[in-house]
Amino acid sequence: MDLNFINSLHPGSWIKVIALIIIVFYVVFTFVVFTQVRVMGEILVLPSSKAILKIISIIHIVLAISLFLTALVIL
Amino acid sequence: MIDVFVAPENKKPEEKDMSVFSSFCKSPKGIRFQTQKDNETIILFLRSHFVKNISWIIFSLFLLVLPIIISLSLPSFGLDFLFSPSANRFIAVFTLFYYLMLLSYLFINFLHWFYNVFIVTTERIVDIDYSDIVIHNIAITNLSHIEDVNYTQSGFISTLVNYGNVFVQTAGNERNFEALAVPRPREATHIIGDLLGKGHSNSGPKR
Repeated sequence: MDLNFINSLHPGSWIKVIALIIIVFYVVFTFVVFTQVRVMGEILVLPSSKAILKIISIIHIVLAISLFLTALVIL
Repeated sequence: MIDVFVAPENKKPEEKDMSVFSSFCKSPKGIRFQTQKDNETIILFLRSHFVKNISWIIFSLFLLVLPIIISLSLPSFGLDFLFSPSANRFIAVFTLFYYLMLLSYLFINFLHWFYNVFIVTTERIVDIDYSDIVIHNIAITNLSHIEDVNYTQSGFISTLVNYGNVFVQTAGNERNFEALAVPRPREATHIIGDLLGKGHSNSGPKR
């Protein structure tokens, strides 16, 4: 397998790739948080807060995806 | 003739509305848990006192202003390469990522406090532990399996704002239950103590 393309990458590109990988892991993590909020909302029903927590966790996912797209464009 | 020795009627306690940040609520209204039976009523709802959140709230406030402090002090270090256009792009992404991580930290700490609850019903005790973002543990025991209930309250702050740890000991090898840093531990212990030996014994603890 030819891996010579690795040598041709600029150091700035390496940083960009690493930053994007870290942000992808973070996006996955936000989905885990959302799943946990959903599961806990089923285990314990607290009517006044269930919707609010779900909305916060969705905003969390949206912000993480937005950050990934921002990093993809501007880095 | 007046009926002096007539037992009082078993009235159902009046249900109360519970605020989102409430840590101690008798007969809360509208709260249910997954395995709750139709004829089962929640008598007491407990979670840690809100004071327990102050440490991570203060730490979050520090983390919130930390980038501002760093950005104000950077020029004095003479790191000119940080002001180049390419470095600015990385700094912008890093700053956004930092604040997003801070949001996660706040949210997870809040969830940890919010979903660590201790519920006493007319039949059972339910202990919901949300110890980590990927770990949650639910323990249930029947009131008839409870052998003893006690509480500890030590320290300056716990005495000042009246919170403590409530321990519920169950029979045999069954797991003991604990509600940590809950408000009004003496009252909670009395409420659980009054229920000792009640409830049906046909269902053992579930984990």
